Formats: sequence, structure tokens, C-alpha cells
Amino acid sequence: MLRLTTGRVGCLLARRATAAVTTSSTRMASKEVSESVDMSQPMYWDRADIPLPDKPYKDVLTDADKSLKQKEKGPWGQLTKEEKIALYRLTFCKTYPEMKQQTAEWKTVIGGIFFFLGFTGIVIWWQSVYVYPPRPRTFDDEWKSQQLKRMLDMKINPIQGISAKWDYEKGQWK
Amino acid sequence: MAHPSQLGFQDAASPVMEELLHFHDHALMIVFLISTFVLYIIVAMVTTNLTNKFILDSQEIEIIWTLLPAVILILIALPSLRILYLMDEINNPHLTIKAMGHQWYWSYEYTDYEDLGFDSYMIFTQDLTPGQFRLLEVDHRMVVPMESPIRALISAEDVLHSWAVPSLGVKMDAVPGRLNQTAFIASRPGIFYGQCSEICGANHSFMPIVVEAVPLVHFENWSSLMLEDT
Repeated sequence: MLRLTTGRVGCLLARRATAAVTTSSTRMASKEVSESVDMSQPMYWDRADIPLPDKPYKDVLTDADKSLKQKEKGPWGQLTKEEKIALYRLTFCKTYPEMKQQTAEWKTVIGGIFFFLGFTGIVIWWQSVYVYPPRPRTFDDEWKSQQLKRMLDMKINPIQGISAKWDYEKGQWK
Repeated sequence: MAHPSQLGFQDAASPVMEELLHFHDHALMIVFLISTFVLYIIVAMVTTNLTNKFILDSQEIEIIWTLLPAVILILIALPSLRILYLMDEINNPHLTIKAMGHQWYWSYEYTDYEDLGFDSYMIFTQDLTPGQFRLLEVDHRMVVPMESPIRALISAEDVLHSWAVPSLGVKMDAVPGRLNQTAFIASRPGIFYGQCSEICGANHSFMPIVVEAVPLVHFENWSSLMLEDT
């Protein structure tokens, strides 16, 4: 699913480049930032799960292309390997391996995540140094141990909680 | 009270809280099962290479995923309603205590036999003795006899407060001009802490509730001493 999108973007960008030299797509006279797609016309796409698009990749054929198409009507055994590849490239923009090719997008994503995590860490450190008030004395180790002793003496949570884990006979944790 | 970094409930100190703990276990197990199942489906959908673009009609699964959630909800609702009605049972309390919320302290009135009333202020951090709990200790605790049904009438003198003690399974809003009734039984002796649970101004976090459950003899001694003091 995720691989689909990046491959599709890649060929749509290639399609924009070819649209500049071909007249296969409808174009507005005025200048636009993005090309508008007429969805009522047959479209071309590169999708691994929908193998055959509505129309071939190259609509407008040069004379050489046209003569190749004529040769395609004959027996295919007479086509050379390069001609077969050229015919494929007329009908399709990408091959399946090209469509499914891995991108390096994950590196950018992971890098971005680490960058923002690091930035957050810097903000947190700065806060703890320059913003927070001094800690209450109840967080001192001595106070905390006295507090814990008091909790055990009071049998706080004696059923499954903290006092249940203390062995009162032996005076140690279970 | 909770120990540091505690995530779950405190141990129950009343029968109602025990019921609530068991119900929570039941509902949470259902929630974990559903969440695990959904997470598995999400991972399966995202990582598959298979596609099917021609699905139409799927009566069997539609029936299943309509009926099964309804059944699950009933399985959650039945124990929940049971506990709800259990909490409203007639319980013939031995003692009635009025807890009045003020800005920013509680006051308790034991007026069944004599006129006993006192205020319960939080002890400031700088006044704590070593080992006491910060923001939880009070100068005068609400002492109750253990293993006795207690009726608590909760109200407020100024703004909304809420009287809550998690280990007893009690929370009741303190509304000015209104008497809200709740009941509890302290099954075991001990000191049970709670905090004001309705925003009531600057010191809303600094008006805790402390209930001390003691044997009846000690309760009688305490109330005699308190009456002498006032």
C-alpha cells in the first residue's frame, strides 16, 4: 500500500515531464502551478494491483513508433529484443520491478523523527535547568525511605499492593 | 494511598470497591481482547500484497460484526448494572457524618449523639514531619468505626467540591445548597487518603481527605477526646 504511493508519485512526475512535450493531456491556456487532470478522460497509471491502464502511455506516436506498431501486427517471433522492449515502453511507463522499487524515503522519515526527538530532549533539559522550582524535600532519599517505612507500618495496600510484598516476619521484601 | 508510579487501583478497603475492582478487570480484559484483535487486523491489512477489488455483499460477516458487539456490550452492562444497584441497597448505617466542602478545606460534623464538628486542613509541606506524605496529610482526620455502615452526607459551603476516597470506592460531588448521600463500610482498619475531585479554585489540589478506620472502642475514645477539646 505504502510502496504504491511513492511509485505512483514517481511516475506522475515523469508524466508531467512528458506532458510538457506531448499533447496527450488536456492543458489550460493560462499558467497553472499544478496540472489539472480531466477525470472523465481515459487515464494512464502505474499500479501493481491494476495491471492494465485505460490507455497506453504514449498516445502520440512518431513515424518510427508507427512503423513499429505495424510490425507488431505481424508474427512476434520476427521482433528483435530491442523492438519488444520499445513496444513495451510505448504502452507502459514503468516495468513491475521499477514500480515496486524501494525508495530511500524511510531514511528521511527516521532522520526526521530522531531530529524532533532530540529537539524535544533539548527543550526538556533546558526546562529542568532554567524553569523548574527546587524539588520539595519530600523527594530526598532519606525522606522517601522514611515514607516507605511509614507506608509499610500503616499497612497501605496490604492485599496485592506494596504491603503485600513485604515480609513482616523477616523484615524484608518477599 | 498509591505507592510511587502506581498505575492500577489501590487495594479495596470496602466491599463495593472490591466489586468495582473485579468489574474493572472484566471490562479491561474485554477491551484488551478487542484492541489486540483490531491491531492485528490493521497490521495484516497494511502488510499484505493481496488485493480484491470486487467484493460485493458479505451478509455472514455483517451479521457477525453487528451481533457480536451487541453481545459484548450486554456482557459489560450486566455486571455494571448489578454493581450500580448494589451500591443503592438499603444499608441501615450506624453513623451519619456530614462532610462539608469549603475553599479550601473540609469540615466534618458528627451530630448523631453530640455536636462534634471540626475542620480538616492540609498540612503544608514545610510543616510535615519526616515520613509524612506531601499534599495528602491533614491536621484532623475523619475517624470512623471499622466494619460499620457509614452514611456520608456531602455538601459544600461555597463552590463545587467533590469528596473522594478511592480505596473506599467513594466519590460524591459537594454541591452548595444540596445534600448528597453516599455510604461505605471500611472492611479493614487503616488510613485511607483521597483528594478533592472537583475544581474549586486556586487550592483545589491542596484540600485532601483522610479517613481513619479504627475499632469501635478507639472511635469512642477519639470522639470523647474531640468533644472535650471543643
